[in-house]
Amino acid sequence: MMATPLLELKSVTKTFGGLTANNQVSFKVQPGEIVGLIGPNGAGKTTLFNVISGYYAPSHGQILFKGKDISGKPPYELAALGIGRTFQVVKPFPGLSVLENVLIASFLRYPKRAQAEEHAWHILEITGLADRAEVSAAGLTLAGRKRLEIGKALALEPSFLLLDEVVAGLNPTEVDLTIELILKVRDQGVTILIVEHIMRVIMQICDRLAVLNYGEKIAEGTPAEISSNPAVIKAYLGETAA
Amino acid sequence: MRSKVITWSVLAVLVLGVVPLFVSDTFVLRILTEAIMWIGLAITFDVLAGYTGYLNFGHGAFFGIGAYTTAIMMVRANWPFTTALLAAALVTAICALVAGIPTLRLRGAYFAIATWALSLAIQQLALILTITGGPDGMRLPPFLDPVYFFYLMLGVVSATFFLLWYLLERAPFGLKLKAIREDELGAQSLGLNPTRLKIQAFVLSAIPTGILGGIYAYWITFIDPASTLSDLVSDQALVMVVFGGMGTLIGPVIGALLIFSFKTIFWAYLSNFQLLYLIILGAVIALSVVFLPNGLWGTIRNRKNRRGGPKKNQESLSRDAEADKKSETKSALAAELKACTQKDGVK
Ligand SMILES: Nc1ncnc2c1ncn2[C@@H]1O[C@H](COP(=O)(O)OP(=O)(O)OP(=O)(O)O)[C@@H](O)[C@H]1O
Ligand SMILES: [Mg+2]
Repeated sequence: MMATPLLELKSVTKTFGGLTANNQVSFKVQPGEIVGLIGPNGAGKTTLFNVISGYYAPSHGQILFKGKDISGKPPYELAALGIGRTFQVVKPFPGLSVLENVLIASFLRYPKRAQAEEHAWHILEITGLADRAEVSAAGLTLAGRKRLEIGKALALEPSFLLLDEVVAGLNPTEVDLTIELILKVRDQGVTILIVEHIMRVIMQICDRLAVLNYGEKIAEGTPAEISSNPAVIKAYLGETAA
Repeated sequence: MRSKVITWSVLAVLVLGVVPLFVSDTFVLRILTEAIMWIGLAITFDVLAGYTGYLNFGHGAFFGIGAYTTAIMMVRANWPFTTALLAAALVTAICALVAGIPTLRLRGAYFAIATWALSLAIQQLALILTITGGPDGMRLPPFLDPVYFFYLMLGVVSATFFLLWYLLERAPFGLKLKAIREDELGAQSLGLNPTRLKIQAFVLSAIPTGILGGIYAYWITFIDPASTLSDLVSDQALVMVVFGGMGTLIGPVIGALLIFSFKTIFWAYLSNFQLLYLIILGAVIALSVVFLPNGLWGTIRNRKNRRGGPKKNQESLSRDAEADKKSETKSALAAELKACTQKDGVK
């Protein structure tokens, strides 16, 4: 693990007026890893994703991607650099077909329509959406919309993928399918940072975990270390139960 | 269905193209020329309104800027018409760029207000400047050849239509614009720069509009702020596009033909035309927003595509609800953790 980390957060802080959503968060993600970002509701996980993917500039601190400072760069530039993301509140283009949704993302690497279409079909196959290609994205089930969210991010051919609660809300079969997909993506060399509340998933796929609570990183380590960490248990169960 | 559109359009252009061979009545040619011009103004309005979701109330200003640039170059600098028309295209493009950079950062309604205010400012400017002739307007060297203007208008509008059809319905550009219309924030994570795309669309919509203004000026041989820079140009284009069906290019063509025919007939049979016409325009837009939210063409197209559609939708909705229910009984540990964390009321 001597290589430069793929992603490095250096004391990243994000405030909204008086509210500190991320407080001096630092951690690294090495190439090829799946890192889980966990924490109670409102801990600041989605906000940190928004900072990393360029939707918010950090109030303080730095974000390095492949060793280069990317703090404050807009999302579309980061997409071109290789950062793909999904949204917790899924963002399909509702008036467009599933194929068109993925096609739009495919243009980043394949500016010609014919190649982009070929690529989009390939993504639809991988994500199991090919049979619904012509359906309007608004007509997909919740599971379908989450798959589409992953498909659009994958169509960017990212080297780093941010997944925000792509499993929550799925039934057990769909959960297993999504886990399978995530592992397949990792095996193709994509580094992944994932936010998820479902511990079974986190424990099963993550190499390492970082835990946020009230915007601060309170722990970092392997899933086994984290599940026995007193500070984490306290954060999840609350002051009174601890 | 896409290639059908091209086939029908080519046919329509060909049919129109032979009309002057059989019709020599200047009045008929004049009406047709103006109808074609309105088709051009409607489809260019649709580039922004339908594909990016921004209502540009400065559309008429581009028309006026094209008209005035052509008039000024021809009258004050003695340029020939074609060169003056090129200058009109260039000036309109620059104006769109300059106006677009600040206004296209604004959202929906604010953009509409800003462009409306800008177009009023330009109208005022034309009223007070001497180079524009102030309220008296400008008279251009007369060139009275209805057939020439018919073919010029037909050529420019059909070239514009085919170019827009290619860019918006075939090339990646149109899909990218639609992505921005549907979700500007979400589109950014897919590598799209919304400001840049919107400015490109704005300029693309402005250039043909400026050219149409230039042709109009030379054709009518007289322009003043009231005829080329009033809100009416934008308002009519808006009604044509909304009534015909936004974001389809075909809808605006249909809307332009219907509204323009209506206007022409109305003009012929009613004396206090202006006021009534405006009231009717307002009513048409209100009614089509309420009863035909997709416009005429959008509604027809949806009907055609619907066979078995709604049933499917119902099905997916109920499956959706099922998935949501299932999700509540997902993993026991997660449910437990959620229960623990939800007591502090966040989310
Ligand atoms: N745009 C915003 N403006 C103001 N406050 C915000 C904004 N976005 C998030 N917050 C606040 O920041 C805090 C962190 O929110 P965030 O969505 O990052 O939490 P999270 O860890 O993703 O939670 P969850 O598990 O519920 O998704 C919350 O208190 C939230 O209300
Ligand atoms: Mg979140």
